Amino acid sequence: MNQAEVIAKMQAIFDTVFLEPVVLTPAISAKDVPEWDSLTHISLMVSVEKAFGVRFRVGEVENAKNVGEFADLILKRQQER
Amino acid sequence: MEISNLKSHLLRGDAEFWMVLKQLTDEAHDFEEVFTLSSLRKKAHARNVSLPAAAPKKIRLAVVGGYSLYPLHDLLEHFCETQGTPVELWQGDYDNYISEIMDDDSELYAFAPHVVFLLPAERRCAYTGHLTDTRELPQAEAQRTVESLLDLARQVNAKTRAEVITTNFMLPARHDLGAFRSRTLGSDWSFRKWVNLELGVNAPSYLHICDLEFLANRLGGLAASDARGWFETKQLGSPSLLVDLAREAAQLIASLKRAPKKVLVLDLDNTLWGGVVADDGLEGIELGDTSPRGEAFKTFQKYIVSLKQRGVLLAVCSKNDLAKAQEPFQKHPEMVLRLDDIVSFKANWEPKSENIRSMAPELNLGLDSFVFVDDNPAEIDIVRQFAPEVTTILLGPDPSDYSAQLADCRLFEPRRITSEDAERTSQYRSDAQRKALEATVTDMASYLESLQMESVISEFVPVDVPRLSQLINKSNQFNLTTRRRSEAEVSAVMHDPNFIVFSVRLKDRFGDHGLISIVIAEIVGGTLNIDTWLMSCRVLKRGVEEEVLNELARLAKLKNCRSLRGIYLPTAKNEMVRDFYGRMGFTLTGESETKREFELRLDTFQPVPTKIKNLRRAYEPS
Repeated sequence: MNQAEVIAKMQAIFDTVFLEPVVLTPAISAKDVPEWDSLTHISLMVSVEKAFGVRFRVGEVENAKNVGEFADLILKRQQER
Repeated sequence: MEISNLKSHLLRGDAEFWMVLKQLTDEAHDFEEVFTLSSLRKKAHARNVSLPAAAPKKIRLAVVGGYSLYPLHDLLEHFCETQGTPVELWQGDYDNYISEIMDDDSELYAFAPHVVFLLPAERRCAYTGHLTDTRELPQAEAQRTVESLLDLARQVNAKTRAEVITTNFMLPARHDLGAFRSRTLGSDWSFRKWVNLELGVNAPSYLHICDLEFLANRLGGLAASDARGWFETKQLGSPSLLVDLAREAAQLIASLKRAPKKVLVLDLDNTLWGGVVADDGLEGIELGDTSPRGEAFKTFQKYIVSLKQRGVLLAVCSKNDLAKAQEPFQKHPEMVLRLDDIVSFKANWEPKSENIRSMAPELNLGLDSFVFVDDNPAEIDIVRQFAPEVTTILLGPDPSDYSAQLADCRLFEPRRITSEDAERTSQYRSDAQRKALEATVTDMASYLESLQMESVISEFVPVDVPRLSQLINKSNQFNLTTRRRSEAEVSAVMHDPNFIVFSVRLKDRFGDHGLISIVIAEIVGGTLNIDTWLMSCRVLKRGVEEEVLNELARLAKLKNCRSLRGIYLPTAKNEMVRDFYGRMGFTLTGESETKREFELRLDTFQPVPTKIKNLRRAYEPS
């Protein structure tokens, strides 16, 4: 899996959570999406962990600045398995 | 995923949104799923999607505790709303609950909550001494922990009159001390268990326990805990546990406002037994411990009986021929349920929705207190459509899950369990039905008729002596002379040919009242002197008095007596029968402070008709 594939898979999750369609790009982040508030964020993280079969380590999700970095983190944790 | 379906309801703005939302929420287990539903709910409010019914007034709910209450608050709000008790929420600050509760001027009290939900910090529930301390020390500390929690609850209740809900404590899921954990009260495992037990049994009536120990146990200790969630955002447990916790708290809040269901309506074929009795015959149905399926159905019946013992009324609604449907209840040796467990038995070819509708006035209960159970989706659907007030449970494909399905349905949970309450429930059952019936029939005579009363009158028999003596010695109100007799004295009059002694048992369609009336009378010359006449007040004015008089007159005539003589000896408790003989047609013949004497001449006496079917008379072969 590469970053683009991870983002494509994330798109399906975001489509479930958000009412208004959001097109994910590596540069997009929570502040660009009105519906992406802190509550939605928690829900997204739980969904992503389940969908990708990964578990993030304590404190590392908040370091990801945008969808691209977040996708890289998913890839990194996936490769460990 | 039907969430897309829900979204389209939302985008169209139709009121069906709320129904689908509730249904999906009831079925949802995953945190992210509930969250998505909750965010759609909030969006629907923001878009003013019209609510189907007038929204109930919001309950003011304050949540305080030793954890981050975010995002728990959102789950709480969601479950409360979908369970029909929407809340206006106030959240305390993280780990500020003690001062919020202690301080009279805190925002908590300014909010004037109806319900306060307290989540005390787990880290304050640990033994601070040494693991090898004698058990009195951790026990005393556990007691202090409980006391301080009870004190917080007491303060909240005293200052707000609010109902208080508190969580108890999760047990650790790690091996840690190994087997030693349960050998000392000082381990977190034992200490918290002890605290939880003490908290539960000492909680006053305004304090409701949201049983976190149970919820975590049900989910699995490892699945319930979440160290990362604690370090990152001070979460109490895993996302799944938060969902279960919020759902449970919402259930508790809803139960403060809503009564449990009262009637369980049961299908028969493939619900209470395997197979179809009309096709397979009495011998062909699967029921009993000799086959796995048969045992599953029998176990389900036992669970149903346990609900009955808690006070749930049982009814039957089956597409069947009545005689065939009732046959297993009467004749099948493995049936646990019997006909007299069933308050209303409908077996016919009318739609089940109509049958259940007709039960409501019969039992004088609203349709919304009925729960209908069937294995057939079509029958469930008919009831959902045509009797939507009724709650329905569609049994799954495997009868081994039936009991669990009912045990998890959350519809028959008593609000509080004390032995007095349990007894009251069972007393209420028959009495309320009788009263209900009284209200639905037009006059007393047809009410009594509808009770289908049957009596058995018996001369004293040795096997009854203990019961006879008990009743003679405890009966106060309907007791003309209040003469007490030991078992030996009862035996003596039983064997004395100069005495006529009998008791009455009464049954009606709601139950067996057992031995309810006793008479002891002595033949003196041509007169029958009534030494003792007593009756249980539960069966007052149902015709038992008249039946007893008829029996007395009959037996007196057989012994060639010309009259009955009765006396009333006043006590502090038997005022109700002061004029009893007068009402029964006797003539007052003497009166003093301590005694009233009456007489009834038998030459003109005519037996008084009653609505009781007499199955046996005294001194006659049965």
